[in-house]
Amino acid sequence: MANMRSSPLAHALATLHPEWIDVAGMPLAATLRDDHSGRSDKLGVCDLSGLPRVGVKGPGAAAWLAARGVPVPDQPNTWTLLEGGGVVARLARTEFLVEDGFGGRIAARLAPELKPGTTGVYPVPRQDCALALTGTVVNELLVQTCNVDFASQARDACIVTLTLMVGVSVTVLRQTFAGRDCWRLWCDGTSGPYLWETLTGIAAELGGGPVGLKSAFPDARFQNLQ
Amino acid sequence: MKILTCPVNGPRPVSEFAYGGEVRPMPDGATCSDREWADYVFNRSGVPGVKIEWWYHIASGTWFHAERDTVTDRVIRTWLPG
Repeated sequence: MANMRSSPLAHALATLHPEWIDVAGMPLAATLRDDHSGRSDKLGVCDLSGLPRVGVKGPGAAAWLAARGVPVPDQPNTWTLLEGGGVVARLARTEFLVEDGFGGRIAARLAPELKPGTTGVYPVPRQDCALALTGTVVNELLVQTCNVDFASQARDACIVTLTLMVGVSVTVLRQTFAGRDCWRLWCDGTSGPYLWETLTGIAAELGGGPVGLKSAFPDARFQNLQ
Repeated sequence: MKILTCPVNGPRPVSEFAYGGEVRPMPDGATCSDREWADYVFNRSGVPGVKIEWWYHIASGTWFHAERDTVTDRVIRTWLPG
């Protein structure tokens, strides 16, 4: 069967002459025609919308996740690493975002278990535009688009920041993803094309731009994604 | 830049927030008069002074209370209701 999922950035990426790769049923750009080597090292903007993710909230959400072996962050606005390179982000006292990395299938396993009717545990539809920002001048991009001083955040504090970036509500955290230090961004999928266009435009002015998965994460093993 | 402190997310520029109006007790719709209900629905107090207000942090979807002096626009404190 053809792919049933489509990235919020599919139309934007299609204009960049991508070589597609299937990520959990969603085509993402593995390479882009103008994605020269070095762009990811300077400032790369990469679409990761295809990674499996699940949202859960409610007074019983933390216990529900813990019962399934998911490491639950103790404090709101912090995150923990999920097996396989994913993240568990605590977005509020009782709301969580669980996303698999390239090597994990935990969020994908949780999603079918999260059914309406469980008292105190409620599914949150997550049709995010998910991005990764890589490179040495990422902070220049963040400074131009957001009011939060990310440079002052301690690396080991595992902070999740919910803020506005160029007017779009975003969730931001810094992690080592697939072997690479990067900033992760999530926003509602409907705002994705605007955020992508704005970020890649500014990134181009800073010597970077859009990049594919293979450029952003050269050490990742993509054969396990399908 | 005006800064407002979200009880969950900390100090943020006021552009990340939306005003939700003054916190006012709602009369019991089953027992109050039409006049009392209409007053609650349609009328607001414009008297300047220290008021407790609803504010909303847009990025995280957090509703909270803020005690603010509407004369000086100084926020005295913020907290989560309940």
